[in-house]
Amino acid sequence: MERNVTHIALFAALIAVLGLVPKIDLIAGVPITAQSLGIMLCGTVLGAKRGALAVLLFLLLVAVGLPLLAGGRGGLGVFVGPSAGFLIGFPIAAFVAGLIVERWTVGIGIAAFAGAVTGGIVVLYVFGIAGMSLVLGKTLPEAALLATPFLLGDLIKAGFAAGITRGLARVRPGALLSRP
Amino acid sequence: MTSPALAATGLLLEGLGYGVAGKPVLAGISAHLTETRIGIIGRNGSGKTTLLRLIAGLIAPTEGMVRVDGIDPAGERRAVIARLGILFQNPDHQIIFPTVEEELAFGLRQQGRSQAEARAVARTMLTRHGRGHWAGVSVLALSQGQRQFLCLLAVLAMEPATILLDEPFAALDLPTQMRLRRVLDALPQRLVIVSHDPEVLAGLDRVLWLEGGQLRADGPAGAVQDAFLAEMARLGNADADADLAV
Amino acid sequence: MLTLTSPFETWAHRLPAGLKLALLAGLTLVLVPLGDLRWIGAAAAAVVAMYLAQGRGFAWHGLVMLRPLWPFLLILALWHGWTGEVQRGAVIGVKMLTAVALANFVTMTTRLDDLIAVVERLARPFSRLGLSPRVLAVTIGLVIRFTPVLFFRTGQLLEAWRARSPRRAGWRVVLPAVLLALDDADHVADALRARGGLD
Repeated sequence: MERNVTHIALFAALIAVLGLVPKIDLIAGVPITAQSLGIMLCGTVLGAKRGALAVLLFLLLVAVGLPLLAGGRGGLGVFVGPSAGFLIGFPIAAFVAGLIVERWTVGIGIAAFAGAVTGGIVVLYVFGIAGMSLVLGKTLPEAALLATPFLLGDLIKAGFAAGITRGLARVRPGALLSRP
Repeated sequence: MTSPALAATGLLLEGLGYGVAGKPVLAGISAHLTETRIGIIGRNGSGKTTLLRLIAGLIAPTEGMVRVDGIDPAGERRAVIARLGILFQNPDHQIIFPTVEEELAFGLRQQGRSQAEARAVARTMLTRHGRGHWAGVSVLALSQGQRQFLCLLAVLAMEPATILLDEPFAALDLPTQMRLRRVLDALPQRLVIVSHDPEVLAGLDRVLWLEGGQLRADGPAGAVQDAFLAEMARLGNADADADLAV
Repeated sequence: MLTLTSPFETWAHRLPAGLKLALLAGLTLVLVPLGDLRWIGAAAAAVVAMYLAQGRGFAWHGLVMLRPLWPFLLILALWHGWTGEVQRGAVIGVKMLTAVALANFVTMTTRLDDLIAVVERLARPFSRLGLSPRVLAVTIGLVIRFTPVLFFRTGQLLEAWRARSPRRAGWRVVLPAVLLALDDADHVADALRARGGLD
């Protein structure tokens, strides 16, 4: 029980840290915030249930006013703004990513990539686009258009999530709670 | 005032200061360090690590200036990384890669060598130090002292002329400390060693004593050591440490 | 850890958190279906007045909290400028700003522990499903305690990178950061168990 609690808490902290550290280069010269990478990793490393709980905990703390979102944002305002859909999608994205890693018994790298893409991109974008459509008053296809510039960056992030998960499995096999 | 030609070598600190949110951590540090073995001593919180980070260029001064062989370390990263390496206190907070070989090859790759070349140089280095069998090993399989040694090798691989060491012995047990001392003594580079333990600084050419962010003493090891020990004894005999830093 | 609560004390700070949240929910529900620029403008003006009533420093802080929305305002301006539906664009933009500002107002005038108390009250009915309010409180405390620590140590990793490379750190520092989080999780679990555990 304690181990679950601390893993969930520390990964919630990790999502925050990945948003707060100066932008890292995902590929040479292209700075991206690593926060959504953190969401993907919650799923691929902690598994579906714990990963989703870690993300929910993170969102709860953002809601109560901690500036944990990339750029030091937070508070209740972000849940009614244009990125609200993405925020709501975060825990579901982690859940789906974790589910795929847990259930699909292929190599960890492939499973993690599939999970990161399905959860961290497909599922997340569904919610994110719906949210943007509502707040910005655009139709779903129009909102989808607004989301497309981020697709490439997120695909790269999914690749890195897979690489990091696989590296973790190699270096610290017991630590991968999604594949005990 | 040192002549421009002379000032272009060694570590030049002029009125160096660093403050965070208006609070000064270091102030008015001036020295021209050209000796081969230099020590920086002071209590915890005296600003020793900050001084090291300023010299390494990891942070930029908020007043005064620092030059490494005439180069501004915060401004000209590429140039200073070729000349100066830094070893932090805890190896676990500075090893980035999972295997020994990768960790060694990293700095070499950043200096422009190809992956293959960097790996080859890393392996040669390990063999030269009798640790060729470490190449593909996971960092987690190394002991604390071995990891510290790996960090040192990673710095040496980049062939710097100066190495800064932040409390290198603090986390090590006695035999490991002795081993590390032997290795360090044999190095031809200029070493700047930070410590709060005066034992570490015995035999160094020059020692700077930092207190409360300012230079309290600067001179040959023996004299500064004695003064430092006397002050520490005085403080130790006085009463509890109840004052808060803020 | 610093929160987004405004340090400028106002009368709104003294209202109970639960009341503010309920009012926020209600007002947002009223605001969302509005389509007439006049009504929305009035709502916006009311929100601005509410901010200004708390003092200029407070109002300025409120404006700063709205800054991350500027790319979306730009998109709206360009989009609706292009299609010619300027009024609709204004409606969407002003409504968005008003809703966010309203929510931010609650965040800025409510202290962290008051909000956590509300969360715990809301969580109590779920305790039968296995979510003990005590465990929730401990977990929240852990995140608040460890985010700065993890941040600092990740910063050290980034420095170790910068000490050897003039380029910005890449994704390669994320794995060691994850390891730090996992190690901390194990250590803290031990510490919790040593102090009696959570059950």
